[in-house]
Amino acid sequence: MKLAAKYNRVNISTTVIVMLVTGIIYYQAISYILTGLKDKDLVVEEQEVFDYVRLNNRLPQTFESNDQQITFTPAAPGSIKRKFINTEYFKKFDGHHKHQRDGEYEAGRGLISSVTVGDKYYKILIIVSKVETEDLIRLIFFITISVILLLLLVLFVTNRLLLNRLWQPFYNIMDEIRLFNIADNKAIPKIGTSTDEFKELNNAVADMSAKAKHDYHNLKAFTENASHELLTPIAVINSKLDTLIQTENFTEGQSKILNDLYSAVSRLNRLNQSLLLLVKIENKLLHDRQQINLREMAEEMINQFEEIFQDKNIRLTYHLDEKEIRASQYLAEILLSNLISNAIRHNHVGGEIIISLTGESFTIKNTGDNEPLPDEKIFTRFHKSFNSEGSGLGLTISRQICESFGFSLGYGFEGGYHVFRINFMSSYLSS
Amino acid sequence: MKILIVEDEEGLRESIEEYFTEAGNICETAANYNAALAKIDMYRYDCILLDITLPGGNGIELLKTLKENSHPDGVLIISAKNSLDDRLEGLNIGADDYLVKPFHLSELKARVSAIIRRKSYNGSNLLVFNEITIDLLAKDVRVDNTPVKFTRKEFALLLYFIANKGKVVSKNAIAEHLWGDGIDMANNFDFIYSHIKNIRKKLIEAGCKDYIYAAYGMGYKFADK
Repeated sequence: MKLAAKYNRVNISTTVIVMLVTGIIYYQAISYILTGLKDKDLVVEEQEVFDYVRLNNRLPQTFESNDQQITFTPAAPGSIKRKFINTEYFKKFDGHHKHQRDGEYEAGRGLISSVTVGDKYYKILIIVSKVETEDLIRLIFFITISVILLLLLVLFVTNRLLLNRLWQPFYNIMDEIRLFNIADNKAIPKIGTSTDEFKELNNAVADMSAKAKHDYHNLKAFTENASHELLTPIAVINSKLDTLIQTENFTEGQSKILNDLYSAVSRLNRLNQSLLLLVKIENKLLHDRQQINLREMAEEMINQFEEIFQDKNIRLTYHLDEKEIRASQYLAEILLSNLISNAIRHNHVGGEIIISLTGESFTIKNTGDNEPLPDEKIFTRFHKSFNSEGSGLGLTISRQICESFGFSLGYGFEGGYHVFRINFMSSYLSS
Repeated sequence: MKILIVEDEEGLRESIEEYFTEAGNICETAANYNAALAKIDMYRYDCILLDITLPGGNGIELLKTLKENSHPDGVLIISAKNSLDDRLEGLNIGADDYLVKPFHLSELKARVSAIIRRKSYNGSNLLVFNEITIDLLAKDVRVDNTPVKFTRKEFALLLYFIANKGKVVSKNAIAEHLWGDGIDMANNFDFIYSHIKNIRKKLIEAGCKDYIYAAYGMGYKFADK
């Protein structure tokens, strides 16, 4: 849930509650004051009755005036207790109104009192209409409701406009973080904002990313330097081995040792070359682009590997459509060669490889272990199956190359085949 | 042929010198920029093996000096830098080839032989070894005028052997020469054996002597014993 939505939820519900409580208090207070006023009127009326009785020694004429009714009823002496009541007031309609009923009940306020005229005891009931009071209260209620509604609307609009604008720097920073790529040279820029919190966030993120980049750069430089420094000793070992085998008369045991040395050195060399290559791809040092006919390249590659297919007795079927890409020839060759040699290396004798190239994808399927590989792990550095002879960098390199071309490389296990698919388009969709 | 080895790494320089020193070859060495510059100024070589990173200067500058003075020496750059830019720059300035460290000496020899062949035969493209005559352009092999049909790889392998005649060539070197660095099938070079078997068979059937010898399971030697 968005922060703004959360905030809105709390804000709006408290506002509504507070407004409702205010409304109730308002209602009560106004109702109390207005009732007090009515009660005063009633007392004045009562006093008038008392004055009349004292002066004339008889009951006044019962009359009905505007919103006021007085009735006298004989009662047992001392039975009436003076009190104010809420009651109903029957309002008669004026004569010229054509109504079915001759009046209607309205809210009223009454005073029960008593008066003694001569030896007779009367109950006095004075009722006044409270309809104006009710109207007033109703008006106040409507005003309160409209204020609540207006407030909600205003809150909603401000949240929409103001909050969004207030949070804009935050979203800008988020976008920058999302675009952040540790390998490129683009730093997180300063976001134009006057909000201290966002300024701080921006600075913290910029510092952090700069530090991460710096560390990453150092690490990469280290890898590159280390690999470079390794090249010369490897070259010396290699050349010394080449020289050594020129001296003849080796025993069988010695030749085996020499053979092992050769393969170890060549593996060391390949590993080193792979590391260097990775650094280069990541540094975008291999940026030459040219038109490549992928079908021709794949065919050439397949021919290149012909003996190895035969050697492992692997059945190869392929279907290649015309496909041209703009990319570095060197990298494209490495990519295809990596994928094909992988398919051979992890295959069993008498296995099968199916290669297909279409306008959308390059797919290579191979038989091998009858179990799917751990999907994303295989693309990480130095991940390899326990009996693999490879460097553990082949797939990492392949994926890096694909990414640098704007392609995507994915793995799947379909119907007993390990499937590696280069998708020429999907990088736009998947990202 | 006369070769200059410009390389600062002593171990490598010695190995190359030893590998190239044979009857009819003169090898000279230079361990730094100034020594190399002095030699280049004074003498002409059939091929100069040039390291890029040298104490006292850059190998590319030596190459520029050579070209400015229109010296015809063949130049093979041997560099630890496998960057395309360096390679292109080297070749653009006029290097004949570019080999990335580490390399097999047999590969170096094959490349140097190719350069010298291109330089000295000047258009003629016949390579002769006893009764074997190879037309390099037509990729045509004849034994005493009997044509022998070779596949592309067999042809490449034969050339490689002739360039390294009298030397033991390791299987790793052969594999890398034929399949490039991409070849990653270490410890399983049976497919090399089948190529070699084919070459021998074809040559012998055409009436050629058997020049290919297996060397202790490590590699092969092409020699006229």
